Amino acid sequence: MLSWYTLTLTDFVGVGVFVGVVMVATHWVLRRFGVGREAAAGYSLIVPWILGLVIWNAGPFLAALYLSFTEYNILQPPRWIGLDNYVRMFTEDRQFWTVLRFTLLYSVINVPLGLLGALLTATLLNQNVKGLGGWRTLYYLPAVLPAAATALLWRWMFTENGLINSILSPFLNLFGIARPAWFTDIDLVLPAFIIMALWGVFGANTVILLAGLKNIPRDLYDAAKVDGAGTIRRYVNVTIPMLSPTLFYVLILGIIGSLQTFAVAFFIESPRRAGTFMNVYIYQEAFDRGRMGYASALGWIMLLIILLFTLLVFRSSAAWVHYEGEKNQNG
Amino acid sequence: MASLPAAPGTPGGAPADLATVGPQAGQRRRGGNDPDRPRTPLDWVGRVVVYLLLAIGGAIILIPFFWMLSTSLKSDASLIAYPPQWIPNPVVPGNYPEAWTSLPFDRWLLNTVFTTVLAMIAEIFTAALVAYGFARFRFPGRNVLFIILLSTMMLPGILTLIPKFLIWREVGRIDTFSPLTVGAWFAWGPSYIFLLRQFFLTIPREIEEAAIIDGANVFQVFREIMLPLVKPALLAIAVLSFQGNWNNFEGALIYLSTLEKYPMVLGLQFYGATLSNTAPQWNLMMAMATVMALPILVLFFLAQRYFIEGLTVGGVKG
Repeated sequence: MLSWYTLTLTDFVGVGVFVGVVMVATHWVLRRFGVGREAAAGYSLIVPWILGLVIWNAGPFLAALYLSFTEYNILQPPRWIGLDNYVRMFTEDRQFWTVLRFTLLYSVINVPLGLLGALLTATLLNQNVKGLGGWRTLYYLPAVLPAAATALLWRWMFTENGLINSILSPFLNLFGIARPAWFTDIDLVLPAFIIMALWGVFGANTVILLAGLKNIPRDLYDAAKVDGAGTIRRYVNVTIPMLSPTLFYVLILGIIGSLQTFAVAFFIESPRRAGTFMNVYIYQEAFDRGRMGYASALGWIMLLIILLFTLLVFRSSAAWVHYEGEKNQNG
Repeated sequence: MASLPAAPGTPGGAPADLATVGPQAGQRRRGGNDPDRPRTPLDWVGRVVVYLLLAIGGAIILIPFFWMLSTSLKSDASLIAYPPQWIPNPVVPGNYPEAWTSLPFDRWLLNTVFTTVLAMIAEIFTAALVAYGFARFRFPGRNVLFIILLSTMMLPGILTLIPKFLIWREVGRIDTFSPLTVGAWFAWGPSYIFLLRQFFLTIPREIEEAAIIDGANVFQVFREIMLPLVKPALLAIAVLSFQGNWNNFEGALIYLSTLEKYPMVLGLQFYGATLSNTAPQWNLMMAMATVMALPILVLFFLAQRYFIEGLTVGGVKG
């Protein structure tokens, strides 16, 4: 058993030394070829990342593209099948559409709701409340809870005899509804996931937005006040535009993160008919069913969806994100 | 917090901004003649509403935590009592040892500590080197490379997962801890690089230039001057990195198959899957979930300033 650890320790030290040697070698070679002192140092400092980019990003990225045109189960060498994987995805695989719908619905509902809630909370916290540090700690707490613990906790709270149903019990009784088991109910599984996610990310977004609010110069408000703008006018015309870069950041990260939900779905199995998260589906295709080629094609579609969403938000940002000239420069 | 060196940099720089995020920042700004101080009865109503809403939100946040702890101390019989038992009766602390010894949890803890420590060392060290390179040295292609770095954050991890798996399989390292740790030498956290670069940018160049004139080389300047100056940022990254590696589920799931090699998070998932469907022992589950969360919660209470700094730097200065 000790060998498990020594093996990895050896690998770890070996690769660390390797990266160091490449850094030094890069510097030496660049200097020999007459590259300036500053540039040579710069290049050799970023060598670890360059190596990582080639080995762990660009290489796998292209390999995944190639695999997506093949049938590959690891045991036999990949077999080129052209666009078959993509054709199958869009024409034959009904589960793909269920999963896609589930993932998109989840993100489209979860992200804006979370953002609005966080904005409201951050605004409340920005009203010169007493004990701000304490409030912020409190609201941030769910974000530091490991996803595994969050998922198990909510799975437990959403069971038939769980806390949520107990709290809802008076209403359920009033309308004569049986206690639902949320995560196994085909209609309730999505709302349940969304409620859990809102609880989880809410605080992190609140803290980021609060920092953004605190960064808005006070004189802007004073100027608006002098101009006779009321509280709401000031909020709409000063706060929101000044906060928009932060909102934009939270929105982008929220979309990317929520489309890629993975771990929690492993702790909470949703009914197959309701669908699951795209990343879980890709994992199942690749590692449970051994369809590496098909899974790679799904991964590519996932990348395109993320790019599409990001692009849409970026495009629309011209209309609603306000950048101060100088602020943008060092960012 | 007081024991830390003052954040370096110009007033407009990131560390200075981060300082305003700190807990005392609010108070500092609230001077004697605060225009927002409530005066009229209507203002007082507003204040009450604000605190009321915050308290409701706080309760929504806290109740699940309390429920996790309370469940973990319950007997099997009182698990599904109605109305729900907030304070367990009887209190059963024995759930913890019972769950802990039913599976190799101590081995899983050791594995988690082992992989987390190794990955953290390499991840933080290389992120600092790369960030320093991007922040301080002019070289052709620097901006293009930095944009590439930022855009790798958008790459869905699942896409490159299969080829990465094949690489580790090729070098015979499936079902070892190596895939979870060794990759960290390649500066695998673009967001950490970004965060550190923002900090390095705020440090006046004169400080390094003086050292270089004194004959120090790049690594000496980096280690003896730059690293101490960005210590708050390093600590911010350290807590994020700890959190990320401690909770790394995806990697463990894909690369590890031997039960005794699992980290806590995978063990917890295995434990959850073994629970019976008819009478799941949620008390034992919640006990182990609490144990898994405990180190991070403790760290958060000790070093929350760094959690918040790491979180906010991208959003506010990005």
